[in-house]
Amino acid sequence: MTDRPSPQQRDVDDARSAADDPEAWAFETLRADRGADGIVTITVLVPGRAHNVITQSVLFDLEAILDQLDAGPPPTGLIVASARPGSFVSGADIGRLEVLVRAASADIEWLCESGRTLFARLASRPWPSVAAIDGACLGGGLELALACDARVATDASHTVLGFPEVKLGLMPGWGGTALLPRLVGPGAALELIAAGEPIDGGAAARLGLVDACVAPELALATARGLVERLRDDAARTARRRRMAGRVVLAPEERDFLAASSAAVINGRTGGHYPAPPTILETILDGLDVSAEHAARLEARAFARLLASPVTGHLVRVQRLAERNRRDPGIDCRSSATPSPSATAIAAPAVVGAGIMGSGIAAAHLRAGFTVTLVDIDEEALARAVPTILDEAARDPARRHATEDRTAVDAARLHPATHPAALVTADLVIESAVERTDVKLELLRTIEATVGPDTVIATNTSTNPIGRLASALAAPGRFCGLHFFNPVRRMTLVEVVRGPATTDATVATAVAHAKRLGKCPIVVRDSPGFLVNRLLMPYLHEAVEILREGVAAARIDGVARRFGMPLGPLELYDLIGLDTALYAGLVLADAFADRIAASPVVPALVRAGRLGRKSGGGFYDYAPEQAPVGRPGPPIGDATALIAPVIAPYRLPPRGDDDDTITDRLLLPVVLEATRVLDEGIVRDADEVDLAMIHALGFPPFRGGLLAWADDVGPTEIVRRLGTLADLGPRMVATQRLRAMATEGGRFVA
Amino acid sequence: MTSPATARDDETPVIVGCRRTAIGLGDPGRGVFRRVRGDELAAAAIAAAVAAAGVDPATIEDVILGCTQPRGELGGNVARNAALLAGLPFGAAGATVDRGGGSGLEALVRGAQAIRVGAERVVVAGGVDHPGRGAAAHSADIHPRALAASSRGVLSPGLCAEHLAIRTGIDRRRQEAWALESHRRAAAADWKDEIVAVGGHDEGGRPATVVRDEAILAAERVADLDRLEPLFLPGSGTITAATAAPPGAGAAALVIMSRGEALRRRLTPLATVVATATVGLPPAATGRGALHATRKLLGKSGVRPEDIDHFELDETFAAEVINDVAELGIDPARVNPCGGSLALGNPPGAAGARMATTLVHALVRSGGRWGLAATSIGLGQGLAVLFEQAGS
Repeated sequence: MTDRPSPQQRDVDDARSAADDPEAWAFETLRADRGADGIVTITVLVPGRAHNVITQSVLFDLEAILDQLDAGPPPTGLIVASARPGSFVSGADIGRLEVLVRAASADIEWLCESGRTLFARLASRPWPSVAAIDGACLGGGLELALACDARVATDASHTVLGFPEVKLGLMPGWGGTALLPRLVGPGAALELIAAGEPIDGGAAARLGLVDACVAPELALATARGLVERLRDDAARTARRRRMAGRVVLAPEERDFLAASSAAVINGRTGGHYPAPPTILETILDGLDVSAEHAARLEARAFARLLASPVTGHLVRVQRLAERNRRDPGIDCRSSATPSPSATAIAAPAVVGAGIMGSGIAAAHLRAGFTVTLVDIDEEALARAVPTILDEAARDPARRHATEDRTAVDAARLHPATHPAALVTADLVIESAVERTDVKLELLRTIEATVGPDTVIATNTSTNPIGRLASALAAPGRFCGLHFFNPVRRMTLVEVVRGPATTDATVATAVAHAKRLGKCPIVVRDSPGFLVNRLLMPYLHEAVEILREGVAAARIDGVARRFGMPLGPLELYDLIGLDTALYAGLVLADAFADRIAASPVVPALVRAGRLGRKSGGGFYDYAPEQAPVGRPGPPIGDATALIAPVIAPYRLPPRGDDDDTITDRLLLPVVLEATRVLDEGIVRDADEVDLAMIHALGFPPFRGGLLAWADDVGPTEIVRRLGTLADLGPRMVATQRLRAMATEGGRFVA
Repeated sequence: MTSPATARDDETPVIVGCRRTAIGLGDPGRGVFRRVRGDELAAAAIAAAVAAAGVDPATIEDVILGCTQPRGELGGNVARNAALLAGLPFGAAGATVDRGGGSGLEALVRGAQAIRVGAERVVVAGGVDHPGRGAAAHSADIHPRALAASSRGVLSPGLCAEHLAIRTGIDRRRQEAWALESHRRAAAADWKDEIVAVGGHDEGGRPATVVRDEAILAAERVADLDRLEPLFLPGSGTITAATAAPPGAGAAALVIMSRGEALRRRLTPLATVVATATVGLPPAATGRGALHATRKLLGKSGVRPEDIDHFELDETFAAEVINDVAELGIDPARVNPCGGSLALGNPPGAAGARMATTLVHALVRSGGRWGLAATSIGLGQGLAVLFEQAGS
């Protein structure tokens, strides 16, 4: 359980060395200095970490300091601060949580209690304590700050306060749910803890979470001022009594908070995530009892949550995302290959000002790049520029563009109608229409214009990279860079490695995608790459079920209840039936043994039902909902309208129940994933799960496609596929799956 | 009946005239009044009420208007601006009041108080709102610590109403039935004396004279209620766009003076403002504000619920008025007999004044004696006013 780094890792610089100073003690992670005014300042610097996190060492060191203070002359006050710029103390680390997930419940409760007891000791000393918060103050770090009598936060942008535990399926475990309601009121506490969104110093001050929000250079002086003020016994005692006692809440308010929050939580989580309702219950149960009692309730609830499978999945998903952030990802087979250094891109360019090209250009502006955008169609370019600036400046919180950003961005977007503008680019992302001849021609032009070291990438979902590479004299510097629509929201990027693509090119593309804030995975060149290939059976099956006479709303409802953000037919409408049809044909062509191109989608396309963009596909849409990428509820099931289109292709009803429909939608995807693994399209099952979550919104609480398959169990999957055998080759278990069923294997470690 | 409420003297405030504009849809860019300024609506109501009262404008000493979004064209103390726009003499001062959705009734209460204590001789009280015109960007920034003993959810009146509906078991069907009846009553009601015609524009942009509330639906257009999604609790909620009043644009005004003043000027009092009551409740109980204010008012005035001939009860949410009726044990036929905000639309700053205007006209028409108007107000408040028809 301990995270003590080896002595070599210790990062105790001279300034922190205090061996000769009787008024200072330096420990591994904490240091205490007694000032002339008698105030002791504890500074946190956890060595070997990018951020201060609460390791076992921090707890040991804090205990040792309190022992020293109790033994010596009492300080006139205590200030807790961080010696690491930009980081006060942010919670525990993921690696540790993965160990805890497997621990026994009694051990967990003991761990919660021991940390809490230590904080309580800090809180009960006969001198005032103040946390000076500059940098991230999250989870356990905020609980440490709550143990102090008062808090001051800085107004720096790196200062955020919050309890993000819920995002991992957890809740605070060191008294956060007990203390926060006593400080800011139960409603605000519930919002902070159950939604998990951190707030800045100003918001924390308005809420009463901190006593003051000041510029960073004033933080310590302000903390000293608060210490002075709280030296007054009456003021300090009043605060401590409030933090220890019960919370007064009118019965009507309590009832309203309980009922409205439960309804809101259920609406947001679909009942799939146990943490938010547990947090609600714990906070409410903790109101009418002492804080100490409330904290014991919290420890019990914390242990219960840790034991839930959802938490295990969420913790793993978080770890996969972290691995991805650190992963150079040059090879889709192995991360062990030594990494050729990626070239940092300084002058990116995008060719093609359509929806995807515009989205990619906007992503560059958002990430701070100056970007060249080339389109030979002057009108298309003129249309794209305001769209790009608007999207780049879009403030997600306020849902509209901020004007001051737009002016800055406008200077960094260089539109051009001639490829000559690409001459200085070190990365060109070709994002023209999905027509092979157009792309080949463009790539030739690009290569003829750019310098010899420029990386050339193509944004394509259907063109094999190997084929496009044939246009180039030097295909080693060429790769696929497949963004998803809408670029602003979809974090996944497929970096497609063609047969001739060099490691350096892939490493550069991966590093660049990360600088755009994306989650890149490296995939091997093959039809549909990874994501579309896994998406195809899901979409295909939905249409087959529709042909059997099941209503579209029911099929999508089944998928949504499983946890998918959109049902397959809604997703079809969002993608556009014409787009999906083309991609589907490419895949049906490549995998004819199991996928027959459905006749329904071409028929709908012929009938002019292209999806949201045409006002209707499988559903009808109100005109204002038509813009792609703004999912809203369809206004109507278009069953009656599309029935005549589907009629010639009706299949005999199978009378499937909802569970069978779920299996039919997802088991073929699992089968396709086994083939993807066999063919080495991606590195491992973890990448499949990461991609499914980031590109398709596969429910994180299920841990990803293959984690879900493990939970069902390969044996059970093979059995269920047996009951679907009448549907043909697409439901036949693959060799890999049958082997796992026989030998008891798992997809995910 | 031995009612202290019947005791009257020369200082008793009486209403001598009242008018309102029709209510247009209040969504931005929509509705018959989308090209009409809010202050123009207020001025139209003021001028019409003064004319209807037959009072000499030179005697008006103050104009009090409720308004919940007092900015832009409704900013800068719209009561004074609208008085000037209506052509009242400079002697008519103006004050704008904000008690949320009770503002129009609050203006009436303040006006009646001014008369009662002899502060002014003649006062115009009313309200105005036009949520679709620019004011939409306005959103109150309530201090989070003001809600420390409550929760942020109470800022949504819809969520409070939903909570009330769930706790009282008032289901979606009952709410829809009430809403449909509200539309039926509104469509059948006689509005000609009450509504002053104001110029607006039809859907095609052609000038049109507006004399009818725009949100009133003909019965055949109220089909398809089932397709509406819950507004406040996706999935589990009971309140939809059919059972929550649509935002509206409109104004109403009432001319108030003392009984003695009316007699001296040979004006005919229409109704007496007998008593008023304000309540504050836990914010989560917002949906019960009208109910508690009504109880308090009846309690102190000694009038029994069954004596009231005409209730104008807040109809922002069907669930709330259904609960009021059940808790008070009153005959639903006497509640909002001309329809309520669900059918007419809800300009929050004007709604209370609109209710009072409708109530006074209906009492005079019916010859009934007692009337009571009550509204629920955000963050747990209620306001109620008791009227007695002057000719009864």
